[in-house]
Amino acid sequence: MNEYQGHLHFVANNTLTLDKGPSAVVETLPNPADQLGHKHPPVAQPSWKEIAPKLESPEVKLRIADMLSRYPQAQGALLEVLWIAQEALGWVPREAIRWAAGVCGCSPAHAFGVATFYTMYKHAPTGRFLLQFCRNISCHVMGAPDVIGYTEKTLNIKTGGTTPDGLFTLVQVECLGACGNGPVMLVNDEFATDVENGKLTLKPGVGLTPERIDKILKWCYAREAEFKVEPSRDALGGVVNGHKGHSGAPGASAKSQVADYAPPCPILGVKAVASEAGVTLTWKGAPEFTQIAVERLEGSSWKSIGAPGLKDKEFIDATGKAGSEYRMIATSGARVAKPSAVAKAIEKAG
Amino acid sequence: MAETVKVCTGNFGKGAQDIAVYRKLGGYANISSRLFDLSQFETIDIVQRSGLRGRGGAGFPTGMKWSFVPRGTGKPVYIVVNADEGEGGTFKDHRLMLEDPHRLIEGLIIAAWALGARSAYIYVRGEFLPSIETLNKALNEAYAEHLLGENIGGTAFSFDIFVHRGAGAYICGEETALINSLEGQKGQPRLKPPFPAVNGAWQLPTCVNNVETLMALPWIFEHSPEAYAAMGTPRSNGTKVFCVSGNVKKPGVYEAPLGIPLMEMLTSSEYAGGIEGTLKGVVPGGSSTPVLLPSECEKAILDYESLAALKTMLGSGAIIAFNEKCDVVQLLGVLGNFYTHESCGQCTPCREGTGFANRVMHALLRGEGHDGDLELLLSIADQYNGTTICPLAPALGMPITAFISKYRSEFEAYIAKNPNHASPRVNATIRPGAFW
Repeated sequence: MNEYQGHLHFVANNTLTLDKGPSAVVETLPNPADQLGHKHPPVAQPSWKEIAPKLESPEVKLRIADMLSRYPQAQGALLEVLWIAQEALGWVPREAIRWAAGVCGCSPAHAFGVATFYTMYKHAPTGRFLLQFCRNISCHVMGAPDVIGYTEKTLNIKTGGTTPDGLFTLVQVECLGACGNGPVMLVNDEFATDVENGKLTLKPGVGLTPERIDKILKWCYAREAEFKVEPSRDALGGVVNGHKGHSGAPGASAKSQVADYAPPCPILGVKAVASEAGVTLTWKGAPEFTQIAVERLEGSSWKSIGAPGLKDKEFIDATGKAGSEYRMIATSGARVAKPSAVAKAIEKAG
Repeated sequence: MAETVKVCTGNFGKGAQDIAVYRKLGGYANISSRLFDLSQFETIDIVQRSGLRGRGGAGFPTGMKWSFVPRGTGKPVYIVVNADEGEGGTFKDHRLMLEDPHRLIEGLIIAAWALGARSAYIYVRGEFLPSIETLNKALNEAYAEHLLGENIGGTAFSFDIFVHRGAGAYICGEETALINSLEGQKGQPRLKPPFPAVNGAWQLPTCVNNVETLMALPWIFEHSPEAYAAMGTPRSNGTKVFCVSGNVKKPGVYEAPLGIPLMEMLTSSEYAGGIEGTLKGVVPGGSSTPVLLPSECEKAILDYESLAALKTMLGSGAIIAFNEKCDVVQLLGVLGNFYTHESCGQCTPCREGTGFANRVMHALLRGEGHDGDLELLLSIADQYNGTTICPLAPALGMPITAFISKYRSEFEAYIAKNPNHASPRVNATIRPGAFW
């Protein structure tokens, strides 16, 4: 282990820390982050060699390629890459943040800033079950202080503490967005106000009570007996198949996402029907088009014969005859689509 | 009484997470039959005629917002769904995404058709991992049935949806902070103008819409914009999903036409089922909206204009009721902690000001209040307005002003606990601390 003794997690605005451990704290004004229990003493940081096997596995590489393909700039995937690191390691050590910066093509300083801005990235290992209690207005009204006090007493730890057996870490968080179940908590990534059939549940209208806390803690102990290590859960909620990524993603094109953005789709479903009035063209529009042009084959060259409006559903070529060949070209701003398939005018049936 | 039309919550409890069930309940009918016959302009026109207003809190007309997105610039357009639900008391999007993810996808396809978007991002707050899992499963099903991807329904229209997991920051619910977060930056709001409709994600035109707003679209297109506009009040059209929490018998998510009286929402057996204890106050639109006294609640009608007349807001529709056992000074202390913790640190009046107000409030709670502290708090709250980039600091200022002016005697009782309350305040005593 590479002994790094500095504060990494700079949670509060009015806590000034120097780089050499807690003795060097110059001036501390307590702040809400202390009450939430998000602050922690400096931890020993693993070296890159120690964490590399987990971050360079083929599965992780695949996930990251998928994430990078979704954004026009690699940096967009930074939050997701940090999530992947946290899933693989249980927390985000310094070297993992540095690695994420490399993956996303931003500076390590930027990645540190991002990783410490958001409260859900852990900068120190926590207990196996991270209990996050909501203490915002609704849960407060519905009895959060009692429930939090009860849990602190039962586990014999304070907010921010971890039980000696390493099973539970208790923190308080701001609104969890489940106020109908107030007071509410998260057990790792699962909302929990009750246990039913061996599963944590969040049933509408059911809030935490001391009895339900007991049930949930019992569930945690039972789960510990069942699995040696907490089974990992996909930090990004599973893989979505079928998308081909963002058309201007870093993997798909060069630097500028605007210039290299994919051209609009060609107009589809062009049909030409000849009648006494000429040839009537119909097509399927797309919202992206800003201009449509119709061309007719004359000899061996295409000649533009008109530009229907975007609201038009059809275009009539009065001089057209059965057998004339047409194609349509869509434009979206400066981007021009490939010409549509050639439509040969057919005689109207009947 | 006629049964209330459920625009967004109609599929609750019916297993609509499964695409087959959702289709059986009438889902995706718009995509297969109507939508692609409409032009871009007709699509936006329908939304404008429905009178749908943004359900995230500001209540801006959705159709008008869409019409601001410039066309014909050759730049790609993005749609970003704001599912970073973090305002205290709000939990509608959480339930909506868990119960009916396909309706959100259908709403997004309609929005993408109207705006000519090729990609959309659903920004879900990090705490909602179960919702993200539900959405991803639904997206897989939609891709498998070719409702997403390339050339949808044989048209030239291609569309992808990506889910982006946030990582815990209330401020990312502000649309420009959300865009910054999407770009892999700290979630700090940007100065407006330029507005996201012109320079949004990656400096490209971006439309940010709330989950509930988009989920109203399938119903509007399936029925008619006039049918939607016929519900609600003349200026607040349609239905709204309300989240009722606090000291009520049945806290939960309830959909009702706008213009329903607040007391009906709180006491009707169809909705929250009554107050536990004696009503002491109601926060009508999420933690940042000014509180209403019981006497005002009797008059309050739940729509944008009526609540504005009572100097409060409909906000996100989060109704928090509290009874006589609730200590409002503590409640304000909770809000002080919240906004101090969630300030992004960009603007000084917010970074320092929320903490300053919070320290004064906690001095009060510890029994170290002084005469003039309430004036000090009101003065701080006043100085938030117009001095910051985003409305986070004013969002603390509004409850401070409302709580102090409406429950002044309780605050004064706390000050009286200090035997030296008449002596002048020494700065060093303004420090926060746990109070429970």
